[in-house]
Amino acid sequence: MALDIKKFLQRFIEEARDHLSRLAEGVAALEQGQRDPEQIHSLFRSAHTLKGSSRMLKLEPITALSHSLEDLLSTLREGQLQLTPGVTGLMYQALDQLSDQLERLAGTLDAASLAEVDAALCKALSEAANPPTSATNQAEEVAETPTQVPAAQITSRLQTQDTVRIRLHKLDELIKLMGEVVSSHAGLRALVGEAQQMQSSDASASTLPVFVRTLKDRVQSQELLMQELHDTALQMRMLPLSIVFEPATRLVRDLARSLGKQVECRVQGADIELDRQMIDQLADPVIHLLRNALDHGIESPDQREAASKPAQGLLTLKAAQDGGWVEIEIADDGQGLNLQAIRQKALSRQLFTPETLEGMTDQEVMDLIFLPGFSTSHLITDLSGRGVGMDVVKRSVVDGLQGVISLDSRVGQGTRFTLRLPLSLAMMRVLLVRVSGHLLGFTAQYVAELIQLPRSAMIDVAERNAVIIRNEFVPVMKLSDLIDLPHTEPSPRHSERQETHALLLVTRLHHEKLALEIDELIDERDLVIKQLPSHLGQFSLIAGMVTTGHNQLVSLLHVPHLMELTRRTRSRTASQTVAVSEKPKPRLLVVDDSLNTREIERDVLEAWGYQVTLAEDGQDGLNKALAERFDAVLTDVEMPVMDGFTLTARLRQEPDYQNTPIIIITSREKESDRRRGIEVGADAYIVKGSFDQNSLVDTLKVLLD
Amino acid sequence: MQILVVDDDLLAGEMTAAVLEDQGYEVIQAADAVEAINQLNRYPDIALIVSDMNMPLISGIDLFRDLREQGKHLPFILLTGDDPVQLQQQEPSLNACVQKDFNLEYTLPAMIVQVMAGSI
Repeated sequence: MALDIKKFLQRFIEEARDHLSRLAEGVAALEQGQRDPEQIHSLFRSAHTLKGSSRMLKLEPITALSHSLEDLLSTLREGQLQLTPGVTGLMYQALDQLSDQLERLAGTLDAASLAEVDAALCKALSEAANPPTSATNQAEEVAETPTQVPAAQITSRLQTQDTVRIRLHKLDELIKLMGEVVSSHAGLRALVGEAQQMQSSDASASTLPVFVRTLKDRVQSQELLMQELHDTALQMRMLPLSIVFEPATRLVRDLARSLGKQVECRVQGADIELDRQMIDQLADPVIHLLRNALDHGIESPDQREAASKPAQGLLTLKAAQDGGWVEIEIADDGQGLNLQAIRQKALSRQLFTPETLEGMTDQEVMDLIFLPGFSTSHLITDLSGRGVGMDVVKRSVVDGLQGVISLDSRVGQGTRFTLRLPLSLAMMRVLLVRVSGHLLGFTAQYVAELIQLPRSAMIDVAERNAVIIRNEFVPVMKLSDLIDLPHTEPSPRHSERQETHALLLVTRLHHEKLALEIDELIDERDLVIKQLPSHLGQFSLIAGMVTTGHNQLVSLLHVPHLMELTRRTRSRTASQTVAVSEKPKPRLLVVDDSLNTREIERDVLEAWGYQVTLAEDGQDGLNKALAERFDAVLTDVEMPVMDGFTLTARLRQEPDYQNTPIIIITSREKESDRRRGIEVGADAYIVKGSFDQNSLVDTLKVLLD
Repeated sequence: MQILVVDDDLLAGEMTAAVLEDQGYEVIQAADAVEAINQLNRYPDIALIVSDMNMPLISGIDLFRDLREQGKHLPFILLTGDDPVQLQQQEPSLNACVQKDFNLEYTLPAMIVQVMAGSI
């Protein structure tokens, strides 16, 4: 055996990925009307190379499909074929299948693991290339009967690679800089020698000023070099957004196909680079937002035509850089948010009084969808293995990515989400403050303002301090008390002022504000954030560390945790009064025809403090539900006598169960079943395959609170 | 014996090289026709050229014709992902035309032996 296939397979996979992403970009450009012959030619070359290398490695299904694609591109290149949506659809389908095959190959490194070639698709491609009668008709026909994509594939998460490719010139630059640092260090070392000489000679008085100046110069140039070195090194961690955007557009196509909607996904700014840590965390929220746009934003072709819109919906995924920030926009031209439905939901969840809701602006009503447990879709999907609502999207953007999310929607015209994110989490604006003699840091995005108020301006609300800032009650906590800092004497310079005035650092998270009393603001500057070592990772009070000029380590306080602490101290005082009367356990009804499943679910739920009643089929569940009232119902789908969908639909007709959370737990993961779940009125749909007890309990908590 | 392998697809080129090196040949690579000419000048001992057909700018067949025009008559084997018979008809003076596929590790060495035997 001459060829070590495994070694070449790995190379093939990497290069094929590049070719595929180039092809996908190219087809998207064609779709948007660009007809550069040079461009088509390079697409043809990519397909040709794929065909050639895969044939040498005996990856026949890949060879066959890339061959058909190559044929089609070749007729396009020669101008013998008109580009219709049908033709681009076929090409996308081919690319999607190729990348599926490639991922399969990457997982196994075994040519035998490839799926058999989709002969129908190959035939459709060749027929589109060499029309037997009329090319366009044929292609349209095929495009109109798209292959059904199993839901399991759609829900699969995006994968980010665990290796980084770095341009050679960037690496060279780094090495060159290292060289300069070394030589500049040699210069400093020479100065040590000079200093020693001066020490032993008497002439120090005259040479000292020169020495000091040289030392200053060299240290300064060393500093410049370090800065440059740091920037260059950080640059290497940057990855283009296309890593998230490309698979996301594919997801949109698959999902649109399975929902029977026509959608064009337009991408802009995919070449903007972000720190890879950001890229990793960005995938989930972006997918969720895209999925929402497809599920609830963009209407079916019939509805769109009835509203005199083009049958094909438009989804745009746009990124733009703005200073140290990047703005990612996810917009659809669908039906927009239904404000009435949101108001209704807020009422039925008893989140606000009718009067409060009445007084809210449209924007404020829209922002309600970010509240925990609030999803207009009535449904918590199992998108990434656990119940995800818009609140989770918001949390991952704000807490995980240190960014801001906002939303804008017009009825009938569409919805737009804007994510504003820092380019890197490694370097951030930090405020350094002093509290009880300790130096502490805050990242700037949590800080709303810094104000100084006379102590007399503080008011007492329910045994707590608060201040009114622009018509809003903001609770005040002494930071040193909140985190139990040992008290040291404040410097006398400030003590007098502190008698009469308080310096307040007003922090903000979402709509919540908290004013923290501090002693002094020391500095505000961009600093490199160091993550806590993994064994301290559980310690959520500290978000990271920074090093100050004097090599002193300073802890960065995590504002969300501080707010949590404040809530806890608040409820501690509150619960002391009612502590004795123990809260009644929420009562759950679990309906499943499998004894094992029922028992396991009961064990899990009882361990979490729920009181559980079991039922063995839909009819049994219905009888029990009507006999006594439950706080929530969990049901399987496939059961004898009465299935879970029917049970859910029947319960919703009962006045007692109109607002009671109903969770469907099933092994059916088809998109159509999930939708059926929504239609009959379930609040959440959890697939058993991805079942883990935390996701169930979290979902319950969200629904019951 | 030294063989020059010309292929713009680096991966394919290396696979071809691996096949040849396994047979005990010494392989010199080039990524396009221009580099091929340079390598020929640099390594005067190259005794045979194995070139891919489909390359940007100058194709394998054009490289072959250029070389013949310059009076260089090294044995030349053309590799192709498409139909080798058709290409051979297009340019009958090619020493051989071999399809690039999984069997390359058998077909190519066999062809080299034939070509070298014929050209001696």
